[in-house]
Amino acid sequence: MNDTLLYLKAALDKHPELKYTVDLSFWQTDFLRFYQSQTNYNISKDMLNLSATIYKGKRSCSFDIDDPGTAKIDIALASALEMIDSLPEDPDFVDVEDDLTLAPSRKMVNNIEAISLQTKTEILDSLAQSAAEHDFELYGTFICNYSGYRSLNSNHLDKSSAESPIYLEVKAVHRDSQITVLETFGGDDFSHFNLEDFRARLLTKIMYTKNPVIDVEPGEYEVILAPRCVAEFVQYLSYGMSAHALDQHSSFFEGKIDKKLFPGIVHITDDPTDSEMIRKDYGSGGHIYRPLKLIEAGCFRNFMCNQYYHHKLGLPKNGNTASCLKIAPGESSRDDMIRNVKRGLYISSLHYMNFINAKQTSLTGLTRDGTFLIEDGKITAVVNNLRFTEKITRILENILELEDTAYTIPFSENYAAFDIETVKAPHARVRNFNITSSTKTI
Amino acid sequence: MEQKINNIIAKLHSPEISFADVRVTSTDFESISFENGNLKNYSNSVGSPAIGIRVLINGCFGFAGSKDLSEASIERLIARAKSNAIHGALFQKEKLSFPALKASTGEYIHHPEIDPFTMSKAEKLDYLSKVANLIKPQGQVVHSYLMAEFERQEKYYVNSEGSYSHTVVYNTLPVMSVISADSGQIQSRTWPGHMSAGRAGFELFHQQQFMENTDRIMKEAVDLLRAPVITEERADIIIGGGHLALQLHESVGHATEADRIFGQEISYAGKTFVKPHMLGNFKYGSEIVNIYSDSTDPRGMGFHPMDDEGVPGRKLDIIKNGILVDQQTSRHIAHKLGLEPSSNMKASFADDFPLVRMTNLCIAPGKGSLEDLIKSTEHGYFLDFTKTWSIDDNRNNFQFTTEIGYRIDNGKITGIVKEPTYFGITQDFWNACDAICGEEDWAYHSTFHCGKGEPGQVMRLSHGVAPARFKNINVSVKL
Repeated sequence: MNDTLLYLKAALDKHPELKYTVDLSFWQTDFLRFYQSQTNYNISKDMLNLSATIYKGKRSCSFDIDDPGTAKIDIALASALEMIDSLPEDPDFVDVEDDLTLAPSRKMVNNIEAISLQTKTEILDSLAQSAAEHDFELYGTFICNYSGYRSLNSNHLDKSSAESPIYLEVKAVHRDSQITVLETFGGDDFSHFNLEDFRARLLTKIMYTKNPVIDVEPGEYEVILAPRCVAEFVQYLSYGMSAHALDQHSSFFEGKIDKKLFPGIVHITDDPTDSEMIRKDYGSGGHIYRPLKLIEAGCFRNFMCNQYYHHKLGLPKNGNTASCLKIAPGESSRDDMIRNVKRGLYISSLHYMNFINAKQTSLTGLTRDGTFLIEDGKITAVVNNLRFTEKITRILENILELEDTAYTIPFSENYAAFDIETVKAPHARVRNFNITSSTKTI
Repeated sequence: MEQKINNIIAKLHSPEISFADVRVTSTDFESISFENGNLKNYSNSVGSPAIGIRVLINGCFGFAGSKDLSEASIERLIARAKSNAIHGALFQKEKLSFPALKASTGEYIHHPEIDPFTMSKAEKLDYLSKVANLIKPQGQVVHSYLMAEFERQEKYYVNSEGSYSHTVVYNTLPVMSVISADSGQIQSRTWPGHMSAGRAGFELFHQQQFMENTDRIMKEAVDLLRAPVITEERADIIIGGGHLALQLHESVGHATEADRIFGQEISYAGKTFVKPHMLGNFKYGSEIVNIYSDSTDPRGMGFHPMDDEGVPGRKLDIIKNGILVDQQTSRHIAHKLGLEPSSNMKASFADDFPLVRMTNLCIAPGKGSLEDLIKSTEHGYFLDFTKTWSIDDNRNNFQFTTEIGYRIDNGKITGIVKEPTYFGITQDFWNACDAICGEEDWAYHSTFHCGKGEPGQVMRLSHGVAPARFKNINVSVKL
């Protein structure tokens, strides 16, 4: 498959006046979607794409070719060369990526081949039988991707990487009440998957649902945020840690480098090296992807910044993209954290969050997949899904304690090529969490 | 291509396969964006191919898709689709029902007024540069953005029942926005709003009057920095067409996608509060609320001669005089509910699995103009230009913020408010609708980005709406 990439490179090298970046990427997925403890659909999908951006001075032009061949490349390149002189300039462009650091090689397994469809259905069948004993049925997805790329540019960058993420998402839904709980596994190493542990965690959550269903009034609550919720809030917060947001004047962190913003127990890094997560070799533009401290002991430390914004804004360049966020664990056990709540909520998962004002980090969203009332340190009821309207920065300011263990939480990126990322996070106990209405449904 | 997909479907005629279909798409796409008056991106892809093969074996669908249309790839996809169905059936309690449908054919070639792919590139860039320069940062406007996306998609569909269709359509997405800043606060204004796309070519920029509205959004963005917020607990609100399209989309459109009733979307997009027993008796809205799905109207991006499982385009009432009367369905789900398939099975590209999707979901127009409606409102707010949207797992509790609200006192606009936020419960909200404007203010508002399914798909679709008024709505959300 490298033939087309090298063909394009050779064609571009005949034009010394040009700078360029070219990427050849492949992506495959095997995707089992299930509902009511049975297959919904089962699909395989693949793509091969060649993309290029050529620069002439401060003018640039990009093209994408699916299923590339030399004839398509000739047409796309000729068209780009013909029009580039007529395009307006971008005065902020200086150069393409010049970081040539190579990531250490690591063993990579193609999980599409390693985890057969039969293995997937056997795992699901086994879990479905356990859930059925409690009148629950399973809904969700079991996905394996295999993807990779090779990137070249006019600064002699030549980097390749591949990954094969796994994402198992199981929602157990009660046949009558529709009460839902969620358990997930994500990573790129299936040896970390333990079916019995997964089953035990799922069944523990199912047991929580034996309590009555109630509604609660809007107001400020002490809450235990499950790792998935902590992870998702931090994902949203990371938007403002990008140089792009800073350039748009939309970043909460503008003018706040090295300022103490959150309690000292809050540490957030973007770490692509953790073997329990989906690892990344390279970040934006092909820059080496290294661990980057974002929040250290409550202080904001770094913007994520690529080559373009490095030149435009004068920030240190790192190429990080918040694809491997880790929130450091604290010192409390989850059970102790729940015991410390007099009256509050346990929130398992979030749904449909959207910023109201990104600079202020204000947003609204909903709880999902298991919201529970805690009274006198015990879970005593299932609560209808609730709406909250909050500022993420206020949530972090109000953290009282963090669990002593962080969990790998997978998330799917659904608006571009289906991608899977992981975030590592612990439970958090947070005061004054602003519930603004009830959905009246479970 | 017709011959090619007919050859593929011929290979899928076998006793083990009870139904099969094949789709092929070829898509041209061009994206141009400016930031702060400077060209930030000019990119294109030409003739991007995709193929998808779906087979029903042992009551289970298997699917395989690719960008590679070579003979070797097609053989591989056929084998993979069959294998996926056969293995999927091993984790299945109930075989999928899929009654046969009479074969039909369809052809539609859309001709935009200004073809964005053949018009002069200089003319196109000149126009966009002019608009981008008109919204360049100045004063308290600190950032500006202009984007144009153009798409031309040719699609072939054939199935084992003998149905065949061929379409060529153009879609365009134009949008511009500015951000203003002052003392740590930012506000934004966009034009023409959240659902700015259309079944059109470059003429959409002229129709939506970009040049004429640059000054307006610059001024309003700055004015919003000093504007008050709504202080009332509840208020009457008039919602403009662009934002009402999203309200309709989220609280009626997705709620009446019947795959959600059976939990087929729980793992990502969610469920719905709508249940089968509600059909024919659930009072979804007030009596003036009439909502229909219409894939026969070529003005909207949801038009098609047939959907992606061979059901001819249809216009059907979803809500009639306020009562829920039908659903958006697939052939399988329609059979389970005892309904006629609604022609709502769509995939974004041929290598995507078809899902129950909105097409052109519309609110029938009422009477009178927006001007008349404002005049008849004693006190309230006219809200438009979506800023934030959110709705729960069951499509029951929503909360929206618009960029701007225009305060109405005694039938006149008397000022603006920033970040007006309202929330409600779907049934209560639509029953609070007491006026819908007439034909003169009715228009399609469309999006490129309706997300659903896994692997994710973004669908192009439209909503025909006119501004409408809702009484005594909760506007009390404060931070």
